[in-house]
Amino acid sequence: MHTILVLVRKDFALLFRDKVSISLTFLVPFVLIYLFGQVFHVNSKDPGPSGIPIAVVRQSDDPAAARLVEALQAVKPLRVVTEFVNPDKSTRPLAEGDLRPLMRADAFRFALVIPADLIRQDGIGIHLRTYSNPRNEVEAQMVNGILQRTLFSSVPELLGRSLQARARAAVGGERLDRFNDAVAASVARTFGGDAADIRARMAAGSFGLGGAGTGVGTAQPDRPAVRDFLSSLVKVEDIQVAGKDVKSPSATMLVGGWAMQFLLFALTASATALFSEKASGIFQRVLSSPATRSDILWSKFIYGAILGLVQLMVLFLAGQLLYGIEIGPQFPHLLLVCVVAASACTAFGMLIASVSPTAEAARGISTFVILVTCAVGGAWFPVSFMPEFIQKCSRLTLVYWSMEGFSQVLWSHASLAELLPTLGRLAAMTAALMALAVWRFRRGRIFE
Amino acid sequence: MSPPSPIVSAKGVVKRFGPVTALDGVSLDIAPGEFFGLLGPNGAGKSTLMSLISGLKSLDGGTLNVNGEGAAAGSAGARRSLGLVPQHIALYTDLSAEANLRIFGGLYGLRGRALEGRIDSVLEAVQLADRRRDPVKAFSGGMQRRLNLAASLLNEPRLLLCDEPTVGVDPQSRNAIFEFLKERNRAGLTIIYSTHYMEEATRLCSRIGIIDHGRILALGTIDELLARLPFEEEIRYPSGPATAALAAELAAFGEVASLDGTDRFRPRPGYPLSSFYAITERHGLAPRLFTSQRPTLEALFLQLTGRTLRE
Ligand SMILES: Nc1ncnc2c1ncn2[C@@H]1O[C@H](COP(=O)(O)OP(=O)(O)O)[C@@H](O)[C@H]1O
Ligand SMILES: [Mg+2]
Repeated sequence: MHTILVLVRKDFALLFRDKVSISLTFLVPFVLIYLFGQVFHVNSKDPGPSGIPIAVVRQSDDPAAARLVEALQAVKPLRVVTEFVNPDKSTRPLAEGDLRPLMRADAFRFALVIPADLIRQDGIGIHLRTYSNPRNEVEAQMVNGILQRTLFSSVPELLGRSLQARARAAVGGERLDRFNDAVAASVARTFGGDAADIRARMAAGSFGLGGAGTGVGTAQPDRPAVRDFLSSLVKVEDIQVAGKDVKSPSATMLVGGWAMQFLLFALTASATALFSEKASGIFQRVLSSPATRSDILWSKFIYGAILGLVQLMVLFLAGQLLYGIEIGPQFPHLLLVCVVAASACTAFGMLIASVSPTAEAARGISTFVILVTCAVGGAWFPVSFMPEFIQKCSRLTLVYWSMEGFSQVLWSHASLAELLPTLGRLAAMTAALMALAVWRFRRGRIFE
Repeated sequence: MSPPSPIVSAKGVVKRFGPVTALDGVSLDIAPGEFFGLLGPNGAGKSTLMSLISGLKSLDGGTLNVNGEGAAAGSAGARRSLGLVPQHIALYTDLSAEANLRIFGGLYGLRGRALEGRIDSVLEAVQLADRRRDPVKAFSGGMQRRLNLAASLLNEPRLLLCDEPTVGVDPQSRNAIFEFLKERNRAGLTIIYSTHYMEEATRLCSRIGIIDHGRILALGTIDELLARLPFEEEIRYPSGPATAALAAELAAFGEVASLDGTDRFRPRPGYPLSSFYAITERHGLAPRLFTSQRPTLEALFLQLTGRTLRE
């Protein structure tokens, strides 16, 4: 153990000797998160992007449709466009037929159509069409989330009305009225309250069936397709239920992914330092002493994990300072996630170094693998955007589980017990990657 | 009294790198206190043998015991009492001299007072005490070599392996290293010194092994080795049209070999040099063209391999 500590201390001595890399170690996370926040218009008072244009076409005269438009207009990150401006500057309400040409001209990238048959008669749910040009995946995801949240929180009665309409079609108006009367009476008896009032609220549909969901289909400009509303239920839950008291949701959500990408690059670079030590013959000196190959590898691992941990913490701290990401009471849990995430990234870097013949090759291989796993793992845009089979692959990446850990801690304030499965997965990945790396190093030439 | 058991004992050592056989059945014993020279050209297998003795690589055949107690090369005991001076400057050049020594001393379990004491002592020994806080990259080539050597002495090894430790060294540092090693050897340190400079081997080593293509071609003291040459003197002169006739005539009195633009005439034992000069005078060749040399390890290597050491 003493040997390993000597070697770890050596790596830190080298790091501290190098003013450039030490400042990069601490500065880069800061700069990164600052730029990142600027790009995505994150700040502590105003979460989410501001003024993303969204066209709204209202074909329904239902008062609920009007309320939905008002609600969207009240959402700060959106700029709702409802009018078409003619060349002579006169205006008229937007029509669905205007959407494609305008979207092709990039006047806006998202549009919502509230059709006349807003309340579906043929099934449970409400009927909406969205058009999107998800040129910026992050933006698209945000708009999608905002739309669903607005729908869900501002016009909940739409859903109840839809249920009522469905029931009326199925059982007939008279029987439904009788059923509603009976329910209202029994609710009033059991929980107190006025049966007539309850009955009126049921008729209006607003009896808070929160769990049944609303439907927002997503359509590409060229292939409108309305998705089954139940499939997007989960997304509604995600955005509405978790993170509702997080101050800076968009920042919190995305910082983790960027942190992981940064960390993977940094720690792979530190693992490839093995090659320069080999080239200088230092391994000969070290290995002719009582130190072993394992000592060298584990010292690199410990060094990398500590370095990664520090960088992650700096990153989140910067997030707190610049964008109000709340760490506070979550600190111990965040620290745990950061420890396993940094360890996993280090193990990844060591594996890359162990399978690469040269430092250059390691850089090439790692760039490719890191970019792919970051994309697949959800560091760039939400995993739910990707096809089913890729989503399965996502769960094999350490990026995915690290981000999961971060969001569990910062987003849903998970307890230690809730966190354990994620921590366990990351630890298992670390162990597997390290085992492979050590095996490869033992067989490889790096110490010869 | 039986001779002391050897500190290094190699029997039929084989090491291969893929298709290359770097060591092809090397057998030799090195006694405690020897200053043993390993002389051979680049690629002969010197570094490979050094790394096997220090346990960096595993053998593909034969046995190799280090440290006198039959300890296999690379065992913990063998490594603890061994110092390797790698062929390259194996130091962290961004760090200061003393920071390097702290790291390498720490690997031997040295710490605190004991470590600082050893650092002072080795820095003093290689005359770098006044530069101890400077980063190694600011050192001259010779100073780096000296520190490279010092770093291998922290653990007070019984056996020191020096792999071409004077490559790229100015003459002054070179002499300092030589004197230092000789002094340590007199104090009892066993040294194995590899080089492709025959002058270094001749000047330093009590016993020499000549190695080429992974084989020990000759082994012994300088006198023993030189006695294997079938001549006592070698006369060299530039080869060319002017001396072609001379070479033809001399062939009757000994052996004439031509190499690298130089003819080497090795007279048979007992051949009087006076008659040699009579012949050259007859050919109208000025005496300054000729240099006479005692037999050297270089000549022996040539004799053994048909090549020169620097080829
Ligand atoms: N790691 C290695 N991989 C492949 N070949 C090697 C390796 N090390 C040495 N060799 C080969 O083994 C032979 C002996 O090399 P080496 O011991 O370095 O010679 P020397 O030190 O006498 O110059 C050379 O042919 C060299 O190319
Ligand atoms: Mg060599």
